[in-house]
Amino acid sequence: MRSRWFLLLPLLLAACSKPTTDQAAAPPPGLPTAADAAQEPPPAGAAQDAKSTAQGLEPGRKYVIGMSQCNRGEPWRVQMDKDLDTAAKEHAAQLEVVFNDAQNDVTKQQAQVREFISRGIDLLVISPKEAKPLAQPVAEAMAKGIPVIVLDRDIDGGNYTCFIGADNVKIGRAAGEHLKKILAGKGKIVELQGLQTSVPGQDRHNGFMEGIKGSQIEVVFDADCKWLEPNARKEMQSALTRFPEIDAVYGHNDPSAHGAYLAAQAAKREKAIKFIGIDGLPHEGVKYVQDGLLDATFLYPTGGAEAIATALKILAGETVEKRITLGTKVFTKENVAQGGEVL
Amino acid sequence: MPPNSSRDWRQKLAPYRGLLALALVFGLGCLFSPTHLKTGQRLFLTVENQRTVFFEIAETGILAAGMTLVILTGGIDLAVGSVLGLSATAFALAIYGYGASPLTAVLVALLVGAGCGLLNGLVIARLRLQPFVATLAMMVAARGAAKWLSLGVKVAPGAQDWYVWQQSAEVPFMRWLTTALGGWGPQPMTLLFLLTIAALAVLLGRTRFGRTLYAIGGNEEATRLSGISAARAKVWAYLLCGLCAGLAGICDAAQLTLGDPEAGATYELDAIAAVVIGGTSLAGGRGGVLLTLLGALIMTYIAKILSLNGAPEHVRLLLKGVIIIVAVVIQTDRRHD
Repeated sequence: MRSRWFLLLPLLLAACSKPTTDQAAAPPPGLPTAADAAQEPPPAGAAQDAKSTAQGLEPGRKYVIGMSQCNRGEPWRVQMDKDLDTAAKEHAAQLEVVFNDAQNDVTKQQAQVREFISRGIDLLVISPKEAKPLAQPVAEAMAKGIPVIVLDRDIDGGNYTCFIGADNVKIGRAAGEHLKKILAGKGKIVELQGLQTSVPGQDRHNGFMEGIKGSQIEVVFDADCKWLEPNARKEMQSALTRFPEIDAVYGHNDPSAHGAYLAAQAAKREKAIKFIGIDGLPHEGVKYVQDGLLDATFLYPTGGAEAIATALKILAGETVEKRITLGTKVFTKENVAQGGEVL
Repeated sequence: MPPNSSRDWRQKLAPYRGLLALALVFGLGCLFSPTHLKTGQRLFLTVENQRTVFFEIAETGILAAGMTLVILTGGIDLAVGSVLGLSATAFALAIYGYGASPLTAVLVALLVGAGCGLLNGLVIARLRLQPFVATLAMMVAARGAAKWLSLGVKVAPGAQDWYVWQQSAEVPFMRWLTTALGGWGPQPMTLLFLLTIAALAVLLGRTRFGRTLYAIGGNEEATRLSGISAARAKVWAYLLCGLCAGLAGICDAAQLTLGDPEAGATYELDAIAAVVIGGTSLAGGRGGVLLTLLGALIMTYIAKILSLNGAPEHVRLLLKGVIIIVAVVIQTDRRHD
């Protein structure tokens, strides 16, 4: 009998497409990070605030913070946990952070939050997988008197203590304005987009268009690269074939900008083109800038350090702002040695 | 019922259907090509564009070539994309992490690929698991191994503190593989792809092993009863398929100058599509690696036309789906045997 295994192909296709939809909801995979937190403490102001408020805590008491991370499979989220950990270690006498990974599973994360509640933690930090399903467990924590800090992605209904997140529109705008400056307001550029159906991708595009508004910068070629470097390289090859003059490339993430650079290098045109990207991971975008491949990268901060600073204030009984929007940093050849420039 | 004369005509053309489809796609490319802004030259036809197409085809083309062997036996290898990622990671790790020479790194990557393939083959031929299930397991496990080797971070200079390479520097071998020879010729990676196709074509057409693969796909039971060792031939088919995935992994790492543990995700579907569009039957027994070359060319040309014109993503996906169906319908001999 001949096997008919190929009838199962649709099944496989379904299985394969699942991660993509996850990514659509997620911030770009393999994305961003707080480049600074790995090497230096959080922005000076925040760190000092944290230290001074640390004195407002009950002396001799150890506070336990539960951190519910939606998916440690993404490098940017690994960096987020690392940033939290580094910041918490500065107050090791008074703070302990318990990390938990929901492995990209909503129900797992719901259960995790409830576990944290029953363990009697003092404060919950959560980077939720989805806005709606986690509203209920978070509300239960609030009802028990456990303050909640929501990181990166928001939660429906706003029943939490504080939300900390970055603003992709703002970062895209900063990238656009930077390009306007270095091109003196005029030029032909290529935009290598992240996943077009994802919110971070749309925000980075819209912000960028705002940034270059009013200039004579023209996007002559754009493509959906789905955050992936091989796609960016191929699309850039088409752009190079089609346009004899390209002044700059805007990649929605650093791998895209890097792929474009390699394509231009193979065509011996990399010297005539400026490349900028977003994310600023220490071993990715920042390194590319150091090595002179990219002209600039913009930090997409994780908020890990800021979460600890805010947690200390909350635990000390202070009131904090309901929404904290993180700023960005630009890394260029000139400032990369000094750790970038805050925008 | 079509008239007899029409059937004769179609039967005569049958062997050339793949070439006709390719010619059609090429013609469309010329027709819908954007032109050079100054000289008015059709960009699709430029030497540079043709070189780029053959360069872009190389990686998935090598995967598809290996996949052809497996599909001819009536099996499938879903693991090639993951094995590509694992081999790319191992290749970059050998160079950046351990400071190995490119030759050593190439051997490591090829061994990794062949090893995964061998494991697939043994599980399928000896434990008699369905290829779909066995290679699905390998697809997951190889991805896991790649993430473990790389600790979840792309393997590039300085990515881990203990890597021998901390400063970025060019690896001449990677550059050579992806740069046009003499500034005008094909890239060595392209030649590698064409060489793979040629070698497998000879293997399939001129050796006993090749005939055995066709025989297994045609009727495995009969092949076994006739005394040919079907199991051993199958193990070799999967091993060679894994070896090709290893080679493609080297190409991937060389193109990106780093080893991405996520590399090759869903490439197995592109490879299967190239084989099927070429006209090799998923049921096994009919087809060949030269057809796969045609299939890969058709797919890459179409992607290039759409990309050159800056077609939006939804158009690309919709068209890709339609083209797969049309190509397979053209290719399939729908007469009942």
